[in-house]
Amino acid sequence: MKKIGFALLFFLFMSQTVHADFNVQEAINIAKPGEVVHIPAGRYQGNFIVTKPITLQGEEGTELIGERDNPSLRIENTTNVTVENIKLSGKNKAIVANAVDGLELRKLQIKDVHTGIHIQRSKNIRIQNINVTGSEGHYSKKGNGVAVFKSEDITIEGNTVEQVQDGIYVEEVKHIVVQHNKVTSSRYGTHFMYTTDAEALFNTYAQNVTGLMIMMTTDIFLENNIVANHFDFNGYGMLLYDVQQAEIKHNTIKNNRTGVAMQKSSTIQIETNDFQMNQTAIEGTKVSDDTMASSNNFTGNILTARSDKQGFQLVSNYYDDYSGIDLKDNGIGDIPYVAVSSFGQWMVRQPVYQYFVASPSVILLTSLDQQINKTEKNMLVDNTPKLATKHVNEKTKMNVVQMLVGLFLTLSSLWLWKRGITE
Amino acid sequence: MKKWMMIVMLCCGVLMGCSEKTYEPREIVSETDVCKICNMSIVHNAYAGQIALKNGDYEIFDDIGCLMEYIEANGEGEIGAAFIKDAAKNEWIDVFNAVYVYNKDYWTPMNYGVVALDSKEAAQEWMTKEGEGQLLAYKDLHDFKWGIHK
Repeated sequence: MKKIGFALLFFLFMSQTVHADFNVQEAINIAKPGEVVHIPAGRYQGNFIVTKPITLQGEEGTELIGERDNPSLRIENTTNVTVENIKLSGKNKAIVANAVDGLELRKLQIKDVHTGIHIQRSKNIRIQNINVTGSEGHYSKKGNGVAVFKSEDITIEGNTVEQVQDGIYVEEVKHIVVQHNKVTSSRYGTHFMYTTDAEALFNTYAQNVTGLMIMMTTDIFLENNIVANHFDFNGYGMLLYDVQQAEIKHNTIKNNRTGVAMQKSSTIQIETNDFQMNQTAIEGTKVSDDTMASSNNFTGNILTARSDKQGFQLVSNYYDDYSGIDLKDNGIGDIPYVAVSSFGQWMVRQPVYQYFVASPSVILLTSLDQQINKTEKNMLVDNTPKLATKHVNEKTKMNVVQMLVGLFLTLSSLWLWKRGITE
Repeated sequence: MKKWMMIVMLCCGVLMGCSEKTYEPREIVSETDVCKICNMSIVHNAYAGQIALKNGDYEIFDDIGCLMEYIEANGEGEIGAAFIKDAAKNEWIDVFNAVYVYNKDYWTPMNYGVVALDSKEAAQEWMTKEGEGQLLAYKDLHDFKWGIHK
């Protein structure tokens, strides 16, 4: 029995390295452009370099382990490279791509590295179905999951990233689509800097410091993302700093310290989003006059909106704390909704006040605000607040059967009553 | 004797009160410190800056560009001291006396490409290692065009 056990253990450990005598770098070196290099299952230590258009294809159990501080795999000055179905690990970066035109990274497992994938000065890049798990510890000691610098035409989709500094870091990139990714337990879910023409669609960001951090970026579209549980002292669902032209639509933004914050930004459209149970739903400082939040649903938030003196526009949103009525029956409240809150304004200046947000004195102050601010005309006022998340106009319908039964019962009652009197 | 002791202590107290207040930089706490201007958390300590205000408060910055933006907006009147990390030694140095080097390809948290060093010699040494740059003094930073440069 013991012998069989030892034999099984032997095969268990040896099976990992059974093909380790295969020379990965040599196979890369002799491959002709366009060829596929199959890497058999096994653990291969080294710092591998690709400088020609080939496909590196692993199988179940293929692992490249980087040595020293160099990347496990470097792709340099080439075109049309594909890397798929490989596990990567190492001390520093798993994959570095520099000056590559046409790169596809698919089905990769990256673990225990400082930085997952680092792309720079490249174009036509597709990063798909990759799993990056950082090490334990504080994010300040880690690198990013996927980082792209000075590149263009990038697609990052279907990836799962956890426990890193920034899940997806994008700097000086032209035209990028980030979609169907999930980033958790990191500093920022996706961090855009100095980027133009960007889209973030159908992503899930949860339990990071901030879900979407967007800085110095122009022309960005954020749609159908779920941004939840960013409730640290400095946490935001989305933070836009120095951003021009952003559209934020159909997102679910819930349980964050601040749902969406805008600073020094202009032409921001926030439409048809669900803001649920955030401490503050929307915050704006130094934003342009044309910044607008319209047709959103605000439910269960402590503060709906706060801003500096400049404010921003609120148009046709649903607010669960709106107390007006709709005599005209058009689904729009008859009196404006005023979101101005003294405490909210103080919190903009001193974030530490957030710890008093649900205290009795603040609740009393907010109630007083709601009464006093009814005269407010300009700042954070929605003149057309919706009374329901979906307003349906019921047509006048007649149920003939019900009417006939009712008529019959009424006449029968009258007949019985009359009979009772006459008898 | 007691009376004399009291007088001496009182004089010491008055003299201490009259002496100029000194300001020391404080340690960066990556878990909670965020840049006063851009809100980024401070994870690259080698580029961080801080201003010790006369009222005892500290404002923290992730990049010299953000620190300068704060000064441009609020003036220097309330500043007790301002510190920036020496990019080579990772030590706090005085913002007003530091030597700055700019190169658009130097990486900094905001990508402004300006790093601080404690002397001209250190700046020369930095440029030898990291690539040539333009030497700047504090006064030059007021007119500097912060942002990325192509």
